[in-house]
Amino acid sequence: MSYSIPIGPYHIALEEPYKIEVECEGENVVGSKLKVGFNFRGIEWLAQRKNITQSIALLERVCGICSNVHSMSFCMTLERIGNIEVPARGQHIRMIMAELERLHSHLLWAGVAAELIGFETLFMQIFRLRESVMDTLESISGNRVNYSMNRIGGVNRDLLDDAKIRQVARGIRSLTETVLIPLLTTDQTVIARCKGVGVLSREDAIAYGVVGPVARASGVDTDLRRDQPYLAYDLVEFSVPFQTGGDVLARVVVRALEIVESCKIIDQVLDRMPQGPIHAGEIYHVPAGAAALRIEAPRGEVFYYIASNGSDIPDRVKVRTPSFANIPSVAAMVKGNTIADVPLIQAALDPCYSCTDR
Amino acid sequence: MTAETTRLKIAGDWTERSDGWWLSTPASSVRQIARTMLAAGARFVTIVALPEPVNTMQLSWHWDIGGTLLSVVSIIAEGASVPSIVDIYPGADWAERETRDYYAVTFEGRADTQPLMLRDSDKPGVLLCQTGEKL
Repeated sequence: MSYSIPIGPYHIALEEPYKIEVECEGENVVGSKLKVGFNFRGIEWLAQRKNITQSIALLERVCGICSNVHSMSFCMTLERIGNIEVPARGQHIRMIMAELERLHSHLLWAGVAAELIGFETLFMQIFRLRESVMDTLESISGNRVNYSMNRIGGVNRDLLDDAKIRQVARGIRSLTETVLIPLLTTDQTVIARCKGVGVLSREDAIAYGVVGPVARASGVDTDLRRDQPYLAYDLVEFSVPFQTGGDVLARVVVRALEIVESCKIIDQVLDRMPQGPIHAGEIYHVPAGAAALRIEAPRGEVFYYIASNGSDIPDRVKVRTPSFANIPSVAAMVKGNTIADVPLIQAALDPCYSCTDR
Repeated sequence: MTAETTRLKIAGDWTERSDGWWLSTPASSVRQIARTMLAAGARFVTIVALPEPVNTMQLSWHWDIGGTLLSVVSIIAEGASVPSIVDIYPGADWAERETRDYYAVTFEGRADTQPLMLRDSDKPGVLLCQTGEKL
């Protein structure tokens, strides 16, 4: 006999509203229906009525974790339409912010996953590391969440303390390599809870169009920083970790390995940080034209499309976030698992409902 | 399959831009293109709707193959319907439902026509609303 269990939209394990209606036979999940839109704010509508300078602040509020990537993508799309060249130092500062944000996002997710696995000590250790990233972001920008670093043609603030950023990145890399990765790959608690759970096959990953660490954990070797380099990613060396298991454990391992790669990138960017201006001057509008742009956000590819009519208010601003691409695949992941696995499977996706609903 | 060989399999005059390759085509051919994309291992990215001045709408479907963006664009009359590709790419489900919610575009051939961002009773086309106008 089958029955259905509604989970959400308000749920104790998730701070954001989202609903999944799980169809079960006994303990086993045989189907599911997802419902989003509880946090719909009409950000695209607003961005088509505000001028582009106001919209930088607006777009930064698409997501509470990867806020920087949205203001950066918005500015970079306009820069592409206007053929605006960002000074080399501005590009390198954007990379530092992007990789610190990736560390912040991955460490936050790893902490939440550790909590859901039931590994409280690991959660504490990870959040201690995350706090050092938040402190660094605050020391650069003055803010812990919405950094206001991006402007059309560059960044608003210069880096003042390279040594501190380097020290934090090296500290995180060391602890991730010596503690976090060994724990996540060999600890029996983690393996017993995550291995073989919530499998997404490579074929399903392509059919559902999943992106970022979720795709890479299902054997899809993709990363825009390497495949279509932007900023100065073609000038630094890094690996793109990927796994073939497609399960929760694979998603855990991919993100842990990516933490190390981000630290390597930060170290190299600081080594080669050029001198010079950090932006291209005062720019308040771009010529008529349209462009799409994709950036590798912490959760995967973010897609922006802007159509400009030449004024300072664009005709169209389209934002496709990585969570929007990833969340539908939960339906394939939960099928065949037990109801007790559903919260962990959802968390392993690192979903952001604020991004999804916009 | 690479982006180049995939383009060659899809007949038409592809144009290279700074953001990838673009093809103008009637909306009726999008299902055949989607099948070719899937066979090539392309990942579906999204759909973008852009209202045009004279009661028309520009719709573009976007795919990624090996990091290259392949975009297919059609101009449709306002209120016209276009074929759904959900049975080919399940990942297009939310993109189609969102496009209906925002710009009242109807996708034909879908089993599930529930709104994504709006409530069931809301009128589709929320991004077409003017300031102060209610659904």
